[in-house]
Amino acid sequence: MPALSFSHVSKFFGPMAALADVSLEIERGEIFALVGENGAGKTTLMNVAYGLYRPDSGTVRVFDRDEVIGSPGKAIELGVGMVHQHFMLVPPLTVAENVVLGSEPRRFGMLDRQAACDKVREVAARFGFELDPTAKVEQIGVGMQQRVEIVKALYRGAELLILDEPTANLTPQEADDLYRVVRGLSAAGKTVIFISHKLREVLSVAHRVGVMRRGRLVATVRAAETNAAALSELMVGRAVAGMTRSPSARKAGAALLSLDKVSALNDRGFPALRELSLEVREGEILAIAGVDGNGQAELAELVTGLRQATAGAIRAAGDEMTGQSPRAFREAGIAHVPADRQQRGLCLPMRVDENLALGRHRKPPFARGALIDGSGRLERAGSLIKEFDIRPPEPSLLARALSGGNQQKVILAREIDSAPKVLVVVQPTRGLDIGAISLVHDRLRRERDAGRGILLISLDLDEVLALADRILVLYGGRSMGEVSGEGADEKALGRMMLGQSSSEPARSEVANG
Amino acid sequence: MADLGLRQKLFGPSRHWLLVPVLSVLAALAICFVAIWLTGKDPVQGYAKMFGGGLGSLRALGDTSLKTSILTLTGLSVALAFSVGLFNIGAEGQLVVGALVAAWLGHAFAPGTALIHIPIILIAAALAGAGWASIAAWLKVRRGVHEVISTIMLNWIAIHLVESWLVVGPLAARSTQSQVSLPGTAQIEATAELPRLMGEINLGLPLALGMAVALFVLLKWTTAGFELRAIGASSEAARASGIDVARRTYLAMALAGACAGLAGAILILGVHRQYPAIFHGGYGFDGIAISLIGGNHPLGALLAAAFFGIIRAGGTKLQLLQIHRTFPELIQGLALLLVAAQMITRHLLTKVAGRAPQGKEAIDA
Repeated sequence: MPALSFSHVSKFFGPMAALADVSLEIERGEIFALVGENGAGKTTLMNVAYGLYRPDSGTVRVFDRDEVIGSPGKAIELGVGMVHQHFMLVPPLTVAENVVLGSEPRRFGMLDRQAACDKVREVAARFGFELDPTAKVEQIGVGMQQRVEIVKALYRGAELLILDEPTANLTPQEADDLYRVVRGLSAAGKTVIFISHKLREVLSVAHRVGVMRRGRLVATVRAAETNAAALSELMVGRAVAGMTRSPSARKAGAALLSLDKVSALNDRGFPALRELSLEVREGEILAIAGVDGNGQAELAELVTGLRQATAGAIRAAGDEMTGQSPRAFREAGIAHVPADRQQRGLCLPMRVDENLALGRHRKPPFARGALIDGSGRLERAGSLIKEFDIRPPEPSLLARALSGGNQQKVILAREIDSAPKVLVVVQPTRGLDIGAISLVHDRLRRERDAGRGILLISLDLDEVLALADRILVLYGGRSMGEVSGEGADEKALGRMMLGQSSSEPARSEVANG
Repeated sequence: MADLGLRQKLFGPSRHWLLVPVLSVLAALAICFVAIWLTGKDPVQGYAKMFGGGLGSLRALGDTSLKTSILTLTGLSVALAFSVGLFNIGAEGQLVVGALVAAWLGHAFAPGTALIHIPIILIAAALAGAGWASIAAWLKVRRGVHEVISTIMLNWIAIHLVESWLVVGPLAARSTQSQVSLPGTAQIEATAELPRLMGEINLGLPLALGMAVALFVLLKWTTAGFELRAIGASSEAARASGIDVARRTYLAMALAGACAGLAGAILILGVHRQYPAIFHGGYGFDGIAISLIGGNHPLGALLAAAFFGIIRAGGTKLQLLQIHRTFPELIQGLALLLVAAQMITRHLLTKVAGRAPQGKEAIDA
């Protein structure tokens, strides 16, 4: 008996088919991965299974029950649970309170906290993972919060669990922990479907992989019988180069951006960076590796003027930049592709061409004197949209209406087009599909080869290894040392990321789960 | 799928900014129509009287133009602050300060010709309003004080400072009449009185119109306006792009205060000719409704102000049919409610249409 079966399911948004005649059966206890580019229809398909959308034609059946999944409530009743990419938790409440929220165990009409805690412990123990029911959600990490979501679904009787891009916001270690949880669920007879962009993890965790492209399910393959190259070809419809190194075409030149023993505080007033020194040179990519929360965010803000140093000096091509405004940093030729695209990178309620002008909106071709040059802006936006393949190619669209990958292309197009000396790039490919990732990576290499200095701050070690000419590992706001990108040892980097110096022997299998 | 086209037009991403306000006002008119009918009166006659009373004669147009100009200016005040994402509840206080300055300069100084007197008073009143609003901007930028809190508090400070002290104390007219009546400030000079076009139309109307167009141009076509809108869209992204958020916040609040201050000056120079002891306020608060109904858009505020100027001027005529004269305010309140509830009504209508709201992937190409 299949856990979930789609039979000729189609779904239209306007004239566009988001799902076109999808038929698929997922077996009980199976770990099924759904891959595809942004907008291929993965999330739409899962939203149909979870009752958020109704298909325009075709049928969806859960555990062979002849019932229509009209709403998430119905889906939950039928044993379907979904963990969204953005968690739906109440931060000030405890783990247990979050889990039982909406169907609380009661005692004398009051919430029975003890029963709730016991329930959480029981569920976690049954599937072999740890979770402290009394911890406040705001105080636990992203990986733990995800577990809370999973336990929440299981508590509501989920037999089939849908995870939407579960590792998009996780560190490698947290992702490994998640895979363990997923395998445990499968071993206990639960069915897990997850959407992912990361083919390596898909291949190592899933039993079967479904590939979607433009609303169609183009292939379903056994994970054991395929490889990343074959999958990405299916996704894109053509062969794609993977994350391969291509070293700098020229020798690194003069220092374009340098930090000299810089210290800074985080938002809560605690030291975030301690006497950090680094140099970004002409024609090289300096990558900052590290586990999230070790000062990366503060470093990005520091070198773009968004955060002030408490000690030390920042120089751009020799000019003293310490204490300067974000505008001064931009004018000194430092561009910024921020980690938070939607908040810091874009004005979502504004048009694409306006977003492409942002930051250089006072200069031609975007302005003439104090007035906006609408036609000049449209023209430049049009050529950038073409060059960076921003889709749909419509400059008057609101940035909000673009997919994540295309939003990132807008930011990248704007920052590169400002012809900076230094590009500060933070998490440039998080959540993007393979096609977009290779586009971004190729572009960064090209900019490096054109002589720009690139400071890449990324949590994705694969990305760091693929792009970096030099790698600086950040731990606790300090530099753990620099290694050359050429032939860098992943294990040694992993140890440095956990605060051990590169020469210390591995304590145990740190990175592998 | 036939309904999809219309539904997308109404609720899709491309819907026009005017659509929700216009639909809301029409719905409010319809609801009041039914309400009047339910009370046993004749709504057709009532509406005819109301619109006739607002537009039917030169005199009516005079009253309408005055109300429209004041509502436009206070509406602009709120809309402009909204452009940088600030909620200016303080138009009332800024109006009071502007009105006081206008009343004081109207009699304290007499250059002999209206051509000098009136512009000076208008500029001074605008500056006074701008200054008052800048206090809230300063508190916001330097101390992080939420502008809703500070502007509400500044309203009361202005009202009490002006009406409980200055107008009855230091600036009170030296009256030879009875001690019990409260005289307000001294009458303004003749050179300070706003001339009326065709004998009735208040000069405030072209002024308000010009302001609305000027602010529209500012927001849409200047780099400064672009920066204001960028801050309103995402102050975080604006800051990262090098925009001086603090400076632009001052600019927006100062302009907002200037609009409200001008409204105060027009009330004094065009109607009261002094700062009266009992000042019928509330226009500043009306500005919030006007701005919201007008989609926080300068031209939207102008249209909303014109509409409510008409029905308010004509509202008193409703009494001829024994319909209560507050119906125009009811219409305004309902329209505001419907605009504010647009997310709810949109949600309900989409549910009726049987389709979930636009998903993330729906817009992907």
